[in-house]
Parts: sequence; structure tokens; C-alpha cells
Amino acid sequence: MSTRLRLALFAVAQLCLLPAIWKIARALPPFGNPIEIYGRSIDTLGPPLRHISNMVSAVNFDFRGLDTVGEEFMLLCAVTGAVTLLRGIRGEDRGAKAERLPGRPLLDRAESTILVARVFAPLILLFGLYMVLHATVTPGGGFQGGVIIASGLLLVYLGEGYDAWRCLAPSRVFDAMEGGGSLLFLLCGLGPMAAGGVFMENLLPLGSIKDVFSGGLIVIENASVAIAVIGGFAMLFLEFMEETRAAETENER
Amino acid sequence: MTWLVALLLLLAAAAGSGVVLSRDPRRQIFAIAANGLVLSALFFALEAPDVALSELAVGTAATPLMFLVILAAIRMDRKG
Amino acid sequence: MSVLPWLVAAWLFCVGIYGIVTSRNFVHLIGCLSVCQSSTYVLLLGIGYQWGAVAPIFYDHPPGTPAVDPVVQALVLTDIVVGATVTALLLAMALQVSRKHETLDPQKLRPFIDEGRR
Repeated sequence: MSTRLRLALFAVAQLCLLPAIWKIARALPPFGNPIEIYGRSIDTLGPPLRHISNMVSAVNFDFRGLDTVGEEFMLLCAVTGAVTLLRGIRGEDRGAKAERLPGRPLLDRAESTILVARVFAPLILLFGLYMVLHATVTPGGGFQGGVIIASGLLLVYLGEGYDAWRCLAPSRVFDAMEGGGSLLFLLCGLGPMAAGGVFMENLLPLGSIKDVFSGGLIVIENASVAIAVIGGFAMLFLEFMEETRAAETENER
Repeated sequence: MTWLVALLLLLAAAAGSGVVLSRDPRRQIFAIAANGLVLSALFFALEAPDVALSELAVGTAATPLMFLVILAAIRMDRKG
Repeated sequence: MSVLPWLVAAWLFCVGIYGIVTSRNFVHLIGCLSVCQSSTYVLLLGIGYQWGAVAPIFYDHPPGTPAVDPVVQALVLTDIVVGATVTALLLAMALQVSRKHETLDPQKLRPFIDEGRR
């Protein structure tokens, strides 16, 4: 299919799509006046039912927990796929030297970068931990806090350099975190079934509202999601960075 | 407040167009980061703080870094 | 104003598809795919918004104040994180394509072309 034919097909498809878009945009409820029967009932009934004040976490981990199980395993599959693709060609060893393009100078890391990274990396890791722990009271949760902690690990890389970063953040730990978090999340679903309830039923004591350890099973599910997200993103960053290292068998450097 | 939401929606449309119209992948990385920032501000204005935090960390830190490292690896394969 | 978010979402989606159709570099194509994903986020969050409502976090307000829809926020939240890992998988595939075929141009990588016409 030549380029012109593809563009012509695209133009025809767009022309057929535009009246449909306009019709649908007129038929949706006007912006700001939604029909939110489900949402309003969760907002009114959620806090007394589960003693939790962050409704988004409640929907994620309790009311629609089955969807989050699916999302969690999608994350596991995507990370496993990317890591398998990259490691399958390259092997599992660590490259000792950075790969250099001929003719480009190799600059030392600037002192200001090292200082800023060393000052801010612990702060951001602590902030990420705060986000993870306060899932049930303030905006936060496993997904958000997990990505913030993974980004904090990048600041550690900037501050310490590649070799020290690989020593501080070993690959096996993140492998175990990724799989262990997903397994723990699934056990949170299957555990209540073994105790006589339904899948992911909230059988633990609920605690009091506005407390960090409230919500029962939500606390454990939140921690497992955070562990899995940290492990997954850190694995991705490690594998991607490893692609820029020189191969061991070339000996012309 | 309606003008803020309308302005951020138009900015989001402009940022998305900027990502598509930057044909060079190295320039597109900055467009992706700007898109993440604008979307995060839009999600804050739409009263969704959890979503905004998530989009901020992912769209401005994680995704542009992955693009950058892949471009470096591709370039090193070609030249080295 | 009452149809602006739906139109912005449709615009982002169409622009993303246009970028995918006319792309000359696989990495650029993956960036355009992320624009298509962001159009769904705008649409979902626009559906849940209510004028004058607060965020669905009842720490300062008593439960019962009008709040926006938390269900769509939960959907978008997990979607953003999972979308980033799928983008990483696609980038790893683009790297393998570049290694095997020495080019990243989608229009040069058409399958089953015989040598005479390439």
C-alpha cells in the first residue's frame, strides 16, 4: 500500500468519523452536569461502609478490586515482556564500561548535579513512601507512590554514577519485588475465599476513619501494588540503562 | 473557574499536536514532557489529585527518560 | 463550553492517528500512540466532572458534600501507570527492529517485498 493510498484512506475515514463525533458530542451529558448515580452512591455510602476517606483508593482496591487485579497483571506481563526481549539478546551480565561513540568526549559528572541529586533523592524517596502509606486518608496510593519512588531511584543514578547505582539497586531484589507484589495482591483476593468469604472480601478489622491503618484489606493491597510498581519500573530502568553499556566481548577499547 | 478549565483543555490540545508535529524523536522528548505537565495541570483543575500525581511522575519523568535511553541505544548501535 | 472536553478528546485522538499514519520513525510513532492514550484520559475525567464539586477525598469536608465521580478517576489512574509500561515494551520492540533491519522507517519495513522492488 503506497503512501498516497494510505493517506487517502485515512482522509476518507476521518470524513466519515467527523459527523459521528459531532453527534456523539451533542448526545453526551453536558460537561459539568454528569449522570453519576454510581459515583454519588459511592461518595455517600463509602466512608461509613469502609471507614476510609480517599474514595479513589476505595474504588481501586475494594469496590472494583477485580479490575485492579487485571491491571496489576497487565503491568507484570508488560514488564516481563520488555525485560525478556532485552535480556534475551544481551544476556544477564552487567556491562562494565559505558559505550562510547568514537569522537565524542567523555565528560565527568558536574559537581552541582551530584550535589542536587544527593540532596533531593532521599527527600523524594521519603515523599514517595509518604504517598504510599497515606492511601486511605489523603491523595495517594500504591500506583502514585510507586512511580514517585521509582523516579527517586533515577535521582540516585544521577548522584552516584552507574556502577554504584547498580550496587545499591540490585537487580534480583527488584525481580523479587515485582513478582512478590503481584502474588501478594492475588493472595489478598484468594485469602478471604479460604476463610469462607467471597473473592477480596474485606474481612479484616476496619479501623477508624482518618486513620492511616483503616480500611482493612485495602492497606495490604495498597502495599502490594506499591511493591509491584516499584519493582516493575526499577526493572525497566535497569534494563534500559544496561542497553547503553559496552558489550564484554569487544576488546578494541 | 470555567475559564481555567477551558484554557487548560485548549493547552492540552495544543500540546498533543506539538507531540505529533515534532518529527525528530530527540525534539519529541521535550514535547512529551510538556504534554505530561499540561495534562497534569488539567487533571488538577478537574479535581483529580491522585490522577494528577500519577501523570506528573509518569509523563514528565519516566516516559521521557525511557525514550531518551532507547534513542541513545539505537544511536550507539548504528555508529559503534 | 459544554461540549469542549469531548471535542478536545476527539481532536487528540484524530491527531494521534494522523501521526501514526504519516510517521517515518518508530519512536515518533510510539509518542503519537501516547497522545491517543491521553485523549481517553481527558474524555473519562471530563465525564466525571461536576461544577462546584470537590475532589472525592473526605478528609477536610464531611462525607456527603458533592464530589466528582471517583470511579472514572480510579480507571484513569491505573491506566496511566500501565500505559507507561506498555510504552516501554513497545520501545524495546523498536530497539530490536532497529538492530535487525538497520532502519526505523515504517514505510521501508513492509513485509514480503521481493528484492527487485525494494
